[in-house]
Amino acid sequence: MIINGNELLRTALVGDVTSPVMGVNPYDVTADGVPFVSVGAGGICYTVRVGDAAGGWAADQVEPGASIANPDPAANEALLLYACVGNRVTVRTGAAAGAAGTVTGKHEAFHAYKHVLVHFDPDVLDALVPGDRLLVHACGRGMRIEDRPEIACHSLGPELWEAWAATGERLRVTRVLAPEVVGMGSGRVSGATSVALQTGADEALDGLRIGDLVAVRDWDATYITGYHEDRVTVGVVSTGDSPVLGNGPATTILLSGPAAAFDFEVDAGANLADLLDLG
Amino acid sequence: MSAPRLNTDRLVEVGVQAEVAHPSHSGTYSVDSYGRPIILPGMAGVVANARVGDLVFPWAADHLEPGVSAGNPQRDRYQALQFLACVGNVVRVLSGPAAGAEGRVTGKHAFVLVDFPQEALDMLAPGDTLLVRAVGQGLRFLDFEDVAARSCSPALVEGMGVEVSADGRLQVHVTAEVPAFMMGAGLGMSSEWANCDVMFTRREVVERLGFGDVRLGDVVAMHDQDHRYGRGYRAGMLAFGVVAHGGYGGVPGHGMGVATIFSGPRERFEIVRSPEANLRNHLELAA
Repeated sequence: MIINGNELLRTALVGDVTSPVMGVNPYDVTADGVPFVSVGAGGICYTVRVGDAAGGWAADQVEPGASIANPDPAANEALLLYACVGNRVTVRTGAAAGAAGTVTGKHEAFHAYKHVLVHFDPDVLDALVPGDRLLVHACGRGMRIEDRPEIACHSLGPELWEAWAATGERLRVTRVLAPEVVGMGSGRVSGATSVALQTGADEALDGLRIGDLVAVRDWDATYITGYHEDRVTVGVVSTGDSPVLGNGPATTILLSGPAAAFDFEVDAGANLADLLDLG
Repeated sequence: MSAPRLNTDRLVEVGVQAEVAHPSHSGTYSVDSYGRPIILPGMAGVVANARVGDLVFPWAADHLEPGVSAGNPQRDRYQALQFLACVGNVVRVLSGPAAGAEGRVTGKHAFVLVDFPQEALDMLAPGDTLLVRAVGQGLRFLDFEDVAARSCSPALVEGMGVEVSADGRLQVHVTAEVPAFMMGAGLGMSSEWANCDVMFTRREVVERLGFGDVRLGDVVAMHDQDHRYGRGYRAGMLAFGVVAHGGYGGVPGHGMGVATIFSGPRERFEIVRSPEANLRNHLELAA
């Protein structure tokens, strides 16, 4: 499959390493009505990396690696729209200046933050601090698949496309899911967001890993995310699981279109860690 | 058959200030489920010609909020209004030519939705102040500890005619039952905040699933939905709600909004299908 790679612009966007934020009352509530303090979103996570299990952490939607945002809300919207999974990132300031990373996903929390998630090697993560400025070499917005114009491409960088889909006619995903798995995230602008997978809704979600490529049937994200029979959406798992009802691993939208336009090969190894060689 | 025992005598009733909200707009188009750019009315302000009891879908509207949309310009007061107001609460107009008119809370969305008599709806304007007599958060079904009431006033339970059946279940009349795969925006949010959309954004889906006759204010059941501590999918759980907002002109992932009123294990309930299960009857709303 061929994309319009020579038409795509590469543009510079800036995001700063974030720090976690909290309200005065620290408690969220689990599905069983137990109060807990949310850990894992915002800042730098040294523990959890792309390729690790999505579940089993004492955390709420843990963001692997560095979580970045632009402090100006309008500029952050652009960062969220233009940054694509697989794009290269360069550290501009601080002790890790010059180090390179990779965009691995996006994470939107309702009426709260919108983050882009960046993978770095462990020694770079150790050197990064909140406030460090990162340059995202954004490329992918405007992507089209040459003989599949009915498929919408979203947060999909050409770097990931080359590693994942450029060769072969079938698209590798770890699983194809039922539409009721989608929890929070319906009705959002497809190109800038992630949607939560409710891990209790489909046994096929057992063993899910951060970085897994997944497809959801009867679900559309051509413009805005929502139920649509006979359409399919493909995304990449970007965060860990959540104890909150209707939430779960945030999944960044990559492709969406009519079911007939897709031919999947279910491959448990279809994960960003392998495809993008994230050490 | 008997009425369920409630802790009504332990609930406190609080006066909460609100005002009729003015519509706002981003200035850009949204996109509907057919991929068309749309600008449609429906949210905030006063919708004088679509009311609880009317059909949900045949309107050129997006997120159609029937009657009055009540908010508060101060964020913390707005949140208190959102969390404290319960379906069935009495609302009084405090200012403007409709002052003194009395209405009832009929649902929640981005605002608290209030039905008033037609004469008042024709006079009300954005900025008019309202007083919501909020009572209901904290309501419990004393003999059903695993059933959680949310934004449900005791007056609503009574008006709905909820009864305990001979085999010890809560018998609830509904007009329709929603499958879990149709639940959209609103999942993952607090049970008490706004509502949860059923993704009816295309006419063919409304017809295929047989929801064409559903009315604003209908009581509906939502299958495999746990709405006790937040809202989400859980096999074997059931949630009940009232249809709060409607309209055909839907942005994907949104659609018909259902405000949660109570939720619990499936086996605690007996569902009875009835076309009369609507707030216009349950709250005896004035014409």
